[in-house]
Formats: sequence, C-alpha cells, structure tokens
Amino acid sequence: MTRSLNDLRPVYVVGIGWHRYQNPSETPYVALGLTAIRAALADARIEWPAVESTYVAAALLGMASGRPMLRHLGATGAPLMHVENASASGSTAFRHACIEVASGISDVALAIGVDKRNPVRRAETGIGHLAEDAIVPFTHFALLTNEYAVRHNATAEDIALVAVKNHRNGAKNPNAQRQQERTLDEVLGGKRVSGSLTSLQCTPIGEGAAAVIVASEDGIRRLGIDAGRAIRTTASVGRSERVYAPGAGFDAALTKETADLALAQAKVTPGDIDIIELHDAFTVEELHYIESIGLCPEGHGVRMLKDGALDIGGQCAINPSGGLIAMGHPIGPTGIGQIGEIVMQLRGEAGARQHRGARTGLAHMVGVGAVCYVHILQK
Amino acid sequence: MQPSKLLKPELYSAGSGDGDGATARLKGGRCRCGYVFFPMQTYGCERCGSHGDPLTPYELSTNGTLLAEATVHLHADKNRPAPFTIVKVALDDGPVIRTLLADDSARVAPGQRVTGRLVPTTQSESGETVLDHRFSAAS
Ligand SMILES: [Zn+2]
Repeated sequence: MTRSLNDLRPVYVVGIGWHRYQNPSETPYVALGLTAIRAALADARIEWPAVESTYVAAALLGMASGRPMLRHLGATGAPLMHVENASASGSTAFRHACIEVASGISDVALAIGVDKRNPVRRAETGIGHLAEDAIVPFTHFALLTNEYAVRHNATAEDIALVAVKNHRNGAKNPNAQRQQERTLDEVLGGKRVSGSLTSLQCTPIGEGAAAVIVASEDGIRRLGIDAGRAIRTTASVGRSERVYAPGAGFDAALTKETADLALAQAKVTPGDIDIIELHDAFTVEELHYIESIGLCPEGHGVRMLKDGALDIGGQCAINPSGGLIAMGHPIGPTGIGQIGEIVMQLRGEAGARQHRGARTGLAHMVGVGAVCYVHILQK
Repeated sequence: MQPSKLLKPELYSAGSGDGDGATARLKGGRCRCGYVFFPMQTYGCERCGSHGDPLTPYELSTNGTLLAEATVHLHADKNRPAPFTIVKVALDDGPVIRTLLADDSARVAPGQRVTGRLVPTTQSESGETVLDHRFSAAS
C-alpha cells in the first residue's frame, strides 16, 4: 500500500526568500543563490546549521553547482543533491524536500533554485525528425494558440489579456523581472515572435534564485519557529506524459490528470482554490491550465479573464506574482518562487498584491519532456 | 532532369514514379498493439513498451488535415532563417506531425486539407538538388 504526501506527517513551509529575477548579468550564480537562502533563513528565523538536507534545482548551470555555493554558509556536512527537471526543476526539488521531511528522515530541509541564462543543451536520442529544430517552445505554443483561437472563437486580443493581467501583477512585485504595467495595445504592438504571440506574451528567460525551507512539527517546536506563519503542504503530485489521443494538447491533458490527483489528495475542489501560480510561459497556457485544473469548462477561460475573475481580488487570483510572463522564468528557481508567492499570500504578507482571505493555493509547473508537478498549500 | 537526393532519406521517400515536387511518403512504424508512430524506431513502443519484432515499418500517406499553423518571425538558429511557417497536421493514417509549410504553398488554416511533397531546398556539393519534405495546401 503506497501513501501520498498528505498521508505522511505534516510538512510546513517556514521560510521563503528570493534573489530578484532579472535580465542576464555578470552576477555569479553563487551570489544569487546565497541571497535567496539567507533571505529564507532570516524569514524562518533559523540558522543554517538547522538545515538537515538541501535540494538544489538548476537546469543550466552544469554539473555539481551546489557545493561551491552552499560552502559559503558554513560547511555543515549535511547532504545535498541536484535536481534537473527542465522548467519543473524547482517544483521537483520542493516535492522531494517535502517528502524527506514528511517521511521523518529530516525535520528541516531546503529547496533552492538558482540559474543563469546559459545555452540549453539536450542529448541526441538517435531518432530523426523532420524539422523539430525549427519548433522552439514559443512556436509550440504559437501552434496551440492558433488551435485554441479557432476552436473557441477567441481573438488574439482575448488571449493577450492574460499578459495585461500578469504584467499588472508583476508591476507590484519587487522580485519580478518585469515590473511595468502594459496596455493591451502595448502587448499586441510589441515585437512579433511566432504566430500571434508577441514578446510581451512570452516569458523573458533570465536569472535569479528562490529558496524555500520546509519543516516538520517537531522541527518547528525544537527551533522555536513561529507556527502562525507556517503554511502546510497538503498535496504533492508529479506526473509525466502518457500517450493521449492524436492531436490532444499534451500539456493540458497532463496538467488535468496531475491537478485532479492533487485536488483529491488535499480533499479540495477547484472552487476551494483562492490563488494559483501556474506555468504561463506563453499567454495561451494560462487559459489551457485554468480549464484543465477545473476552474471553468474548456473554452470559458477568456470569459473569466474578461470578467476579472482571475484578478487579485477576483474569484481566484491567477499568477498574483506576475507569473512566468512578468515575474520571469529563470528555470531552476521558478517552481520554488511559486511556492514562496503562495506562502506569502496565505500568510497575508503579500502587501499590494494581497488576495484577501486567501486560504488555499495551488502551484503548477510543466517542463519539456513532458513532466508536470502540482502542489497545494493551505493555511 | 537534374539529379536529386533526399535530405533525410531515413524519414521519407518519393511516391512511386514521381520526380521533383512529388508526393512524399513518410517512413512510420506500427506496433503489434496497433499503435502507429512516426518516425520508425526500434527502441520500443510508447504505448505498450514492446520492442523488437512487434515493431515494423509502416509507410504513411502524407495526406492529412491541418490542426494549426504559426508563422515564425524570430528564430535564433541561423540555419532556419525566419520567417517560415510551421504546420501541425493530423495524418489520415493516424499520427500528428509538425513540420514546415512549403514556401510556395497557398495560405492554410485549421481544418484545411494538406499534403506532403518533396521540394527542392539547396544544392549539394556535388551539384545535386536536395529535396526535403514540406506540406502544402492540397490542390
Ligand atoms: Zn505497442
């Protein structure tokens, strides 16, 4: 008989921290990562030696980036491991930090995501392809945008409204790479990228770091951590792509099955969710995923968007951080930063971005391959 | 007629009796479980995991229905200068594939019928015309 995370002993997020996501710079990844870790330790009001295990999420830094960074916190000898799972690297690191604490192997674990914008290198499979080298992620999603628009009679303007909302949220987030409100005209008038996608509808891959510290109730008590600011992880699910009906959007199908398992694990329904941080690397994805998660029937996402139901203060705030489009997507940190945003919101500490009364949040990432991770956090 | 060669002969062939601009056939595979895939490979079936003898070559017609198109305006790889158009096509024989639209194709939209052809792209060092697979609006 296997068990899910929520059947094991409770695990709580007790510390969160970032190095702001930003355009590529000369700052070494070590400085980015240490800033986020020290911020998370300060937020939890604990010292580094309390951390019993570390998961380092990085997709573009090459081999063994963790120790050269962590040693500057004081080498405690605690175990560390590296997680590479494409865009979902950070979410995966968080899941395994939670599992380690929930299992009782550790009382306190750290998930740190850090990355620089280095070239993506993928191994050859030995199987040929017609023109996959011509289909980068923004073109994959430009094709899905065209399909969504035709199937659901949505215009390019409708879909671009996702970016207007997320830039508005990002403008209030000091950790966001893009902190500027944008009008619909600005979004549509920007540089054309692929299909109807313009540059302000695409994530700006940059650099940065995000850190989250998780702890058991024993750890919280032993270290005198403020239990009132601890936020419990009530579901953790990871999945990978299966064979779907020909032509089915695999990102959305995979999201649906992963989210369904997470909702069942936390024993909540889509209507219970107050905030969602999801993988909006490209505008159309937000519509796909809110429909896959079950906020509304397929094809109704634009209506929710136009009604303001997805705004901060609306029915369910989607990407209050600004999402991948505005907060940014430095790869390794992204999934961990989502958890930090949800924790900040559930604590009521999100300031100008606060979604009032938030009690339940869901974090979603997909990664090429494809993999999907969903976490639910509850106050 | 100029001598020609295929850019990726492991993926497609010319329909019998055709020359330049000919209808293409795709070199797909079929598993004993019924799953049809492209391109042919022997590593194993994505649906059932069978490998070896259960996987056999299965030639696919390039006739299909367009699911989506996107004209790419920016592309970092200099070997693929933008603009170009990518199409997602549901082949009548089952698999959904994505590749380039021929430069000389009429404009296409979802729901439209398309067909694959072998079109001249570059010259090889030995002077042969190099043919590659592209989709076009079905005539
Ligand atoms: Zn099979």
